[in-house]
Order: sequence, then structure tokens, then C-alpha cells
Amino acid sequence: MGQGKSQFSEEELQDYEDLTYFTKKEVLYAHQKFKALAPEKVGHNKNAKLPMAKILQYPELRVNPFRDRICKVFSSSNDGDCTFEDFLDMMSVFSDTAPKAVKAEHAFRIFDFDGDDMIGVSDLREVINRLCGPEHKLTDSEIQQLVQNVLEEADLDDDGALSFAEFEHIIDKSSDFCHSFRIRL
Amino acid sequence: MSGGNSSKNKARSSKRQEGWEEAGGEFYQELYPGGEQELFENLQRADAAKLATLLPSKQARNTTTVKRGRSQNERRQSTFARNTQSRDIHLSMLPDLSENLSNEERSWEEIMQIKAMPVPMAQKRELKARLQNATKLRLQGFEQLQWRQRKVWHRFRTRLAEVLGKLELWQSPMRVIEGKFGTGVVCYFLFLRWLLFLNIAISMFIVLFLILPNTLLKENCEDCESLDYNSTLCCPERSGNVTSNNVVLDLIQGTGWMEGTLLFYGVYSDKIFEYSLPNLWGAEMVYNMPLAYILVPIAWALLSLVAIVKTGAKGFKERLVENEGQFYLYCNLVFGGWDFCVHNAKSAKIKHKALFNEIKGCLQEERYKEEKQSRTREGTILLHLRRVVINIFVLVILVVSGVVIYMTFNFSTSSLYEYTENLPTLRPNDSFADTLVSYKDDNTDNQIRSTLLQFLPYVCIVVLNLFVPEIFGYLITYESYKPRHVILITLLRTVLLRLASFVVLLSQVYMQTSGLLDSGDHAVRLECWETFVGQQFYKLILTDFAVQFIMTFFLNFPRAFLGRHSNSRCLKTIGTQNFYLPKHVLDIVYIQTIIWMGAFFCPFLPIIGTIFYFFLFYIKKFNCLINCTPSPIVYRASKSKSLFMSVLLVGFVMSIAPVAYSIAEMSPSLNCGPYKSYGTVWYFVITTFNLFPPVVREVVFLMGTSTFAVPAFAIALFFLYYYWAVATANRHMVAVLRNQLVLEGHDKQFLLNRLSAFIRQHQKRCERRNRASFADDDSSVRQGS
Repeated sequence: MGQGKSQFSEEELQDYEDLTYFTKKEVLYAHQKFKALAPEKVGHNKNAKLPMAKILQYPELRVNPFRDRICKVFSSSNDGDCTFEDFLDMMSVFSDTAPKAVKAEHAFRIFDFDGDDMIGVSDLREVINRLCGPEHKLTDSEIQQLVQNVLEEADLDDDGALSFAEFEHIIDKSSDFCHSFRIRL
Repeated sequence: MSGGNSSKNKARSSKRQEGWEEAGGEFYQELYPGGEQELFENLQRADAAKLATLLPSKQARNTTTVKRGRSQNERRQSTFARNTQSRDIHLSMLPDLSENLSNEERSWEEIMQIKAMPVPMAQKRELKARLQNATKLRLQGFEQLQWRQRKVWHRFRTRLAEVLGKLELWQSPMRVIEGKFGTGVVCYFLFLRWLLFLNIAISMFIVLFLILPNTLLKENCEDCESLDYNSTLCCPERSGNVTSNNVVLDLIQGTGWMEGTLLFYGVYSDKIFEYSLPNLWGAEMVYNMPLAYILVPIAWALLSLVAIVKTGAKGFKERLVENEGQFYLYCNLVFGGWDFCVHNAKSAKIKHKALFNEIKGCLQEERYKEEKQSRTREGTILLHLRRVVINIFVLVILVVSGVVIYMTFNFSTSSLYEYTENLPTLRPNDSFADTLVSYKDDNTDNQIRSTLLQFLPYVCIVVLNLFVPEIFGYLITYESYKPRHVILITLLRTVLLRLASFVVLLSQVYMQTSGLLDSGDHAVRLECWETFVGQQFYKLILTDFAVQFIMTFFLNFPRAFLGRHSNSRCLKTIGTQNFYLPKHVLDIVYIQTIIWMGAFFCPFLPIIGTIFYFFLFYIKKFNCLINCTPSPIVYRASKSKSLFMSVLLVGFVMSIAPVAYSIAEMSPSLNCGPYKSYGTVWYFVITTFNLFPPVVREVVFLMGTSTFAVPAFAIALFFLYYYWAVATANRHMVAVLRNQLVLEGHDKQFLLNRLSAFIRQHQKRCERRNRASFADDDSSVRQGS
């Protein structure tokens, strides 16, 4: 990654370094990865907006069951299309150095399919269905049971949905979450 | 959880609550700026059912995530920024940050905290610009200096992290493995790397304090007193035995010329090296070799123990926290189930399947529990009977494998005896193993045969270790344990097997060494039993490594190849292999155990171990990536880490115990090694200790007396009790708070219901009134007309 032919000015890089969990070199590396998704478009305009389908070419995202949600959450236009800055935000949150609270915040938004700021029964069902993948289907009663178990564990105020405070509580106690909610650049 | 920690948490949570309240107040004020009357009107319009979503805790959740120690202003601003629907409008409403003047350091801190905010980059940038351009107080004097220092330190740390990240060993292979197998398996490779580093550290000790001094200083020594060379070497006449055609055999057996190298105990000197540097100070430097030889093992044993405990403690703490919330099993499964780092389509498919199985398994477990309660008495008895029978069977297998090892060892030694018995003369200075090689029939066949015989017990152990676990794995399916316990129990049995084979081997070696030392006939033969023991471990580690190598490349690889490229179902079932984590963990822990056990007798062992671990990484990587398919079992990273460490700790204790025994109890060889003239190695330590200044001795003796020990023990108990009490209190507090939270939730539900009922009532009344007034109007209009 030659510093010389980089498309960014020093100030921009400094901005990115301050505003993400990356160093300048990592920012440049991220840009390379971003460019690899659509070389021509990004070559013209370093901050080009790539459609969601293009972003989903990224290997980790391609196989991720929550791929479209991830794109939507990080897209600044809320439709899943991502500019480089959105992509950088995404990678920053998924990086090793991002703290648990930040990851939890974004995870909550990813899992909140209907966008009502609560993870309700329908959200949980969707999450479970996506986790098991298209080929394996749990029976309806099993899903029902699982949703009920999850709510029993975590829904402290018995309103049939997980609020963010409750979600954060779970994440605090889960040591695996930080390991798994991570994409290496 | 320790007391301090929890109190901090409490403080934080109370602060958070305050935050909520504050934010709630703000929220209402912002939403309904016109005071109560307007609030009322707003409520009228609000849909009663949607009231819950208006609650501050649901709305202002961002206040809880973004750094808690911020000022109210910022908090409000981030709350606004969260509202994704109308972000742009809100942005324009952002409060002017410059109104409360902050100093440079604070604004820098705030800039550093922007990255934690869940808003798009453009907004972050704007925020940063705002913060930067805002008028702020300049820091003066010392504070300025301090702040600069902090900034530099921060920059330095990020640079350092970057450099270290680049230097990290095996980064890209880890990534590949992670992408294909997920975090649980990567944990295993991290563990392997951790062991490699541990061994490098141990090797450093040995090289610095044993090998270097012995090579550098010995020559000096021999120069000045060449007459006494007999004392520095165990087998000074070794050179006569070496012929060109058995160099290789010696290399793998550790006999012959190898014995005379620094590889083994026997070569190390019992001298106190004196090294004078007349040019510098005219002072005399003293290097006490025997003391170094005992201190180095103690040092690395302590180092290993500290390293294990420290790494293990982290995992243990995590486990404790997790156990406290045993109720989070399903949440973890659902929210932490997917490894976001997986990038291989095939692996993703398998991961889906694994998660599916795990979910099914968990649900089944629950059903199993219910079933258990409803199980008939006969069923329970039958199950227990089956388990007892299988456990007895496992025990029998363990005993049988012990006997097999015993017999092969006996067989190999007795047939080796026949060779040595045939020897017409025995040179008294030759060691036992030396004589074996020195028996020259001018026939390499015989030599190879003797080599094979020597290796027979080790091959036997390794083969048993390979096949018996398979039997265990097959047996456990009949015992219908809970899925989670299956891995643990298999692991335990396999550990027992490995330890059993170790115990048999050790007892054999012990019997041989002590027996030979006692009986006058053979006493001459084993000049240096420590070297002999060292050779055994050397052979063991070589065999193990060779088997790993052969298994991976010559057995599993063709298997995988067959499985992949043939269409027959039979071959496919033979060919597909899972990366069964516990087995591989045991493989490397086993090597580490050998190293710990043998390092006193064969100081080179950790260095050999380091090299082996280095290659083992590649062997295991090959095995993992090329031979195996991802396992349909979900390995959890946190759980496997603490599991590795506990297994390693068991291995450590098991391997240090016999070494400690031999140091404390067994008399060292008379003719070689650093402790020739002492009754036991420990006796040497005591004599050295007696040379210490009396004050030190007094102190240490005092530690041993009851005046010290009893109070110390009492204090330790007291602390233990204290922490136990704190932990219990905390647990109780957690339960109470949880209950309270639930109650609050119910209260809230209740209030919301009442409120919505009230609103509905109110709306109805309003409607009625409206209708009435409408009617009034109507009538008045009518009247007017």
C-alpha cells in the first residue's frame, strides 16, 4: 500500500484515524479492500457509493446470514448502499479493538429487523431462521420453544421483547460475543 | 466477583439510572415542550397501544451506550443523533457545543470518543470539526505538558500495537483457519502458539544459565585442570564406541556420542566455575554450576505455573461470570452463535448445520430433563447399569493397555539384556545404553534390531494413544450422557489413558534404575541413570513427533484424498475426517508434559520441544485445512480456552510430581552430573542454603516454624472467608436486584395499562363533550335562525 499513490490527503487520513478504531495504514488497507469490490467505480471516486449487491461480494459478508441487515445498519442512506466511509465504519465496529459496548449497539440494530428499537418475537424468529440457514428448518413448535427460552432468560420486565438495556446485559455476560462478532480486515 | 469490582459496578449502574431519569426528563421536555397541558394533549393524540415505545428507557437507549461520563449536553446530542428516521433535521438541532467552554485536553478526549458513536462518518466528521473549531481554553504550564505527554503516549501505543500486530506469528494462517473453521478451532492454534512461546521462554532460561556457561566456562576449566577431566564428563570414553554406521541410530536413540553432548544431565559439571577478570577489577566471578542446574528447573517450573494460572484465570473468571448467568445459554446461542469471521461458503453451510444441531440439542436436553423426571424406575436402573458396565469396561481397557505397555517394556529390556549378557567384557565407565550400542557384531541388522527394541515401548504407547480413544468415543454413544458432558468425559478418559501409560513407563524406568543401582551386579552398568531417563524422554518425544508426522501426511492425507475423489460411499465415510478438537489438544498437551518431565534430565528437551511445536503448527494446520472438514460440533471459544488450560494444569502437576520426587528422594549417580557427591539433589540445596548469611537462614527457618505458619494460615483463611462472604453477598444482591427489575417491569406494565385506559376514557369523554358542544352549537344555530 503505497502512501504516495493513495487517494487520500493526510488530513482525511487523520480524520479517519481519529474517528475509527483503525490506524492510517489500516484505513488504506480497508480502502484497498473496498476498491477490490468495484475497481473502476472506486478508482474514479474514492468515496463512490456501491450498491448493496456489490458490498455483499465481500467474502465475510457473502456468507453471513445477516448480510443485508449489516449493510442497512451501516449505510448512511439506510437502503443498504454503502460508501467507503460506511464501509470503514462497518469494519471499524467489527475490528478487534472496538469495545464491547459499541459492538453491542450495532448488533442490536442488526438484530432489530423491524426497526422498532426492541427485539421482539418476530425479530427473534427471524434471527433463528437465519442462523439455521435455508436448508435446515426448525419446526414451528421448536422455534416457539426457543423464543420462549430466550425471552425467559433475558426479558427481565416481561414485556415480550428485549429492550437495548436487556440486550446489553446479555452481551456483557457473554464472553463469546466479542470473539464471534468480529471481521478481520 | 470481587468486592471492589462489584461496588464499582453498582456505582456505575446507579449513575446509569440517574442518566436514564435525566434523559427521560429531557425527553419529555423535548417532545412536549409546552408543559403539562400540552403533554396531555399529546397523549390524547398518541395511540394508547404504542405508549410503551415512548418510554424513556426504550427511546434514549443511546445514553446508556455512549460513554457514560459525558456531560448532559453531549448526551442529548447523541440521543438525537440516534434517531435514524429524521437524522438530518436533528443534526441541525444539535446543541452548540461551544457554549460550555472546555479545555484542550477535554475536547481531545471527546474527539477520541466520537468513534464510539453509532452515527455515519459524515456526522462524526462534522462533530469533530465542531469540537476542534470551538473556542476552548488553552492549557497552561504543567497541564499542557501533561496533556502533550498523554497525546504522545497515545500515539506511541497505537504505533506499537500496529508494529506488534504485524510481527504477530502466523497471522495469515490463523485468518485462513478462522475463515474456514470458526473461532473455537483458532483458539486451539492460539494455544499451540502460546505453548511455543512458553517453551521459547523456558529454552531461554536453559540456554542462558546452563548451556552457555557450561560451554564457555568449561574449556577454561579443563585448561587449568586437565587432569580432572573425569569429573566433568559422564562417559569420557565414549569416542571409542562411535562408528560411522551408527551415527544416525545414535541420533534417534540419544546414545553413543549423543550422550557426551550437552543434551543430557550427565555432561553438566559439578564445578563452581571461577572466572577472573584481572583487567577489569581483578575480581573473581563465580558461577556455581550445580546451583544453576537446580535453580533453572525451579525457575521454569514457576514460570510455567504462573503463565498457566494467569492465562487460565482469565478464562476461569469468564466462566464464572457466565455460570452466574447459566440462564443465558439460549441467548448466547442466538446472539453469539454466528462467527462473523467465517468467509468460506462451504464452511458457512456447515456452520448453519452445526448451529441447527446445537439448537436442536439444547432443546432436546430440556426435553431430556423432563423425560428424566418422567422416566420409569426400570429405565433409570437400566441406564445406570449400562453406564456402570461401560465404566468397568473402560477401566479394563485402561488396565489392559497399562499391562501391554509393561509387557512390551519388559520384553524390550529383557531382549536387550540378552545382547548385553553376551558381551564378554564390560568397561566399567560405560553407561547402560552405551553398552548396548557398543555391542558390535559388525552387523547393522543387529543394531537396527536393538534400536527397534528400544523404541518398542514408545511405539506401543503411541499406538495405544491413537486407537483406544476411538474405542472410548464409540463406547460413549451407548451411555446417553448429555451432549455437553460427552466431550468432557471422553477427554477425561483419554487423559487417564495417557497418564496411565506414563505412570507405567515411569515406574518401569524407576524400577530399572533403582533396581540396577541396588543390585551389585549391574551397578556398574548404569553409571548415569539420569542420562538414561533423559534418553527415554528424548525417545518418547521423537516417537510422538514422528507419529504425528506420519499420521498426518501418510495416513490421513491419503484418506482425505480418497474420500474427496472417489464416489463410493464406503470410501467417503472412511475418508472424511472431522477436526476433533479434544484429541488434538491432548496431542500437544502430551508433548508439553513430556517436556516438563524430562527437562531436568535432558536440558535440551525444551529446545527440541520448541522446534517441534514450530513444525507441529504446520502439521496441524495441514491436517486441519487439507485433511479435515469442519466439525459439526460447535466449539465455543471461551469454553475451549479454559478447558485447554485446565488440562494443561493437570499435565503440569502430573509431570512435576515425579521430577520433584526424584530431586528430593533419589540419590544421584555417583559418577556423573552436577551432584555426584551428594546424597540427594535436594541435599545439595540444603548445603548451599547453609552457606547463606545467618540472617537469611533465620528468616527462612522462622517461616517454617509454627509461630509464623499458624498466624499466616489463619490470615489466609480469614481472607478466604472474607472474599467468600463478599461473593455470597454480591450474589444475593444480584438476585435481589433482578427481582426488583422484574417488579419494576411489572409496575411499568401496570401503569401503562392504567394510563392507556385513562387516555381512552379521556378521549371518549372529549368526544362526548365535543359532540355535546357541537349539538349546542347546532341548537344555538337553530335558535338563531
